Amino acid sequence: MRKRAGIGFYLFLAIFVFLVMFPFIWVFLTSVKPVGEIFTSFRWFTTSPTLSSYEAALTNRPLLRYMLNSFVVSSLTTILAVGCAAFAAYAVTRLPIKGKGLFLGVVLAASMFPQIAIISPIFNLVTELGLRNSYIGLVIPYITISLPLSIWVLATFFNKIPFELEESAKLDGASPFQTFRKIIFPLATPGIFTTAILVFIAAWNEYLFALTINSDDLWRTVPVGISMYQSEFSIPWGDISAATVIVTIPIVVLVLLFQKRIVSGLTSGSVKE
Amino acid sequence: MKKFQLNEKQLGYAMILPSLLLVIVVTLWPVAQSFYNSLFDYRLNDPTRSQKMLNANIDLERYVDNYFYIDGQLSDLEGNAEGDQLEAVQQAREAIEGYHQELTSDAEINAKIEQIDEMLMNFEPISDSELKYTKVDNDFAADYRGALENISADFLSIADSTDNEQLAQSFEQTGSLLAGTSDNILESNFIGFANYTKYFQDQRMWQSLWNTFYFTVVSVGFELVLGLAIALLINRAFKGRGIVRASVLIPWAIPTAVAAMMWGFLYDGQTGIVAHYFEKLNIIPSASWLLSTSDGGMFAIIFADVWKTTPYMALLLLAGLQTIPNSLYEASNVDGANKWQQFFKITLPLLKSAILVALLFRTLDAFRVFDLIYVLTGGGPANATESISVYAYVTLFSQQNFGEGSVLSVIVFLCVALISFIYVRLIGSDLFAGRTK
Repeated sequence: MRKRAGIGFYLFLAIFVFLVMFPFIWVFLTSVKPVGEIFTSFRWFTTSPTLSSYEAALTNRPLLRYMLNSFVVSSLTTILAVGCAAFAAYAVTRLPIKGKGLFLGVVLAASMFPQIAIISPIFNLVTELGLRNSYIGLVIPYITISLPLSIWVLATFFNKIPFELEESAKLDGASPFQTFRKIIFPLATPGIFTTAILVFIAAWNEYLFALTINSDDLWRTVPVGISMYQSEFSIPWGDISAATVIVTIPIVVLVLLFQKRIVSGLTSGSVKE
Repeated sequence: MKKFQLNEKQLGYAMILPSLLLVIVVTLWPVAQSFYNSLFDYRLNDPTRSQKMLNANIDLERYVDNYFYIDGQLSDLEGNAEGDQLEAVQQAREAIEGYHQELTSDAEINAKIEQIDEMLMNFEPISDSELKYTKVDNDFAADYRGALENISADFLSIADSTDNEQLAQSFEQTGSLLAGTSDNILESNFIGFANYTKYFQDQRMWQSLWNTFYFTVVSVGFELVLGLAIALLINRAFKGRGIVRASVLIPWAIPTAVAAMMWGFLYDGQTGIVAHYFEKLNIIPSASWLLSTSDGGMFAIIFADVWKTTPYMALLLLAGLQTIPNSLYEASNVDGANKWQQFFKITLPLLKSAILVALLFRTLDAFRVFDLIYVLTGGGPANATESISVYAYVTLFSQQNFGEGSVLSVIVFLCVALISFIYVRLIGSDLFAGRTK
């Protein structure tokens, strides 16, 4: 089944990659066009490239502030979720406790819960705590998404670490917590890092909670902020395409740097090895 | 130095505890709460229904304030009215005072009323809802409310029939004050499953449920077939794997809302390049078809979703393919099996669990679809692309109707539970393989 690749294959690949990337290419080409040209022609390349759309995108709405908000919320979520999940995943995979199946079942069920089913009580809770339009107000609901994901992925990574290591640590007189902190945790660092990337991306992309809870413009995150560029009367495509390019760049960098890790994290949940 | 040490079991439970508590607080409890909310006529934007009340309640702050004026206005009317009208006023006073005495005969309520009276005199705001609202007997509340409404109706009809203009005005004023006071007596807004009955007959609910179902089946179906085809094609050694992998990951990694904005631009009837090319290629009848017709809207959403998630599906299936040992194919080659036989007899059976797990996560994601539709079409045109999650969101937060909106959330939850149940039965214990020992 594993064939060598021929010319036809590379041609297919090139077309495939082009089609997948086409929306990005077109949006980028649009973002450097003068605004008038966007509405008048379908030419691919403009003869007079300009950065005015970028200037407008950054000044008409607080795009950098949105990015800062997204960054802070996603980072806090990641630290909290991966921190708690590392303990839980370790206990589930390597300690002799009862009810592991039940616990993992609850975690899996929680990851399947539709966000719309929990949003109104969460909204009431966050409002009562006075946390609307704040970072913590978003981190709380994001735990629902990120914690089950982290436990699920981390459990696979922990399971791959050889069990002999712990046994020898035990023989050397290490306490269970010492074994976790000094032996397993360092070995699991790549897995934890991978999980952190996945959680960060998931939190960065969340829309429903961000839309409802942080309704003040200064506290909006990137996905919500971007969708607010359109008004009822006009759609500034120049601004929108420039803003899209700006917010996509960090993700492209993240993907390019960590693509192998992301793939291993994504597939760890679905493939037995 | 001897330190306190947990044994392995205790440590295990201690390590699980934080996660378990968080999951309960942010997921299980809210779902239960949503279900509870769905049993009430609970609206944030209506002061008589903004609390969930199993019992009847009286808004004491406004009641006490109104009662003060009722007393005064009735005295005025007694001074000016004559004959039958005077009798009506006296009867009204008797009835109202009777009910008021019954209310104040409860020592606790009486104490609250006195406290509020004092605070109102000093123009102090009453923010403590424990003080502001008091529970009362359901029957008493219904009777008192009914009595106030009746007297109000009587007074208004007297106002209509009387010739003395000034007196008519006084009766009208008191009549509307009494009607206002009857609104301070809040009957229980627990309505059981009435909200559910409403939605089972609601055309828009069935339409949105159908839209969600249609979107899920069609988009996940396309994603599976295309994803499998791509995975089979690129499951070989070739140069430039990194570029392919990155180009596949980027659509998955960008926020759905950003992707929806991008596609909104590409589909636009005037400036959209995709709409323009599709029209030129006769794939669609006209460039504006995509976002202004119901079929077009659904096509646009499914197309964008397939673009965003097929690569992800391909990636999962590719990882599954790579676990199939090559020796199986070599052996079947020796036995003279053709490519189709190999695909159906080796690849598909061995890929089954990877396919099912990928389908499980994708189906659930697709069924919960919100951002893509909310940003790209807003559920339009004419609710033709509205998913059940979008409908629930609009009911909850645009109409501020938490009771009815919760019914829709519960419906989404039950559908998702059913879908997961079916898949988990199909996949079985494989789902937990590699996680517990």
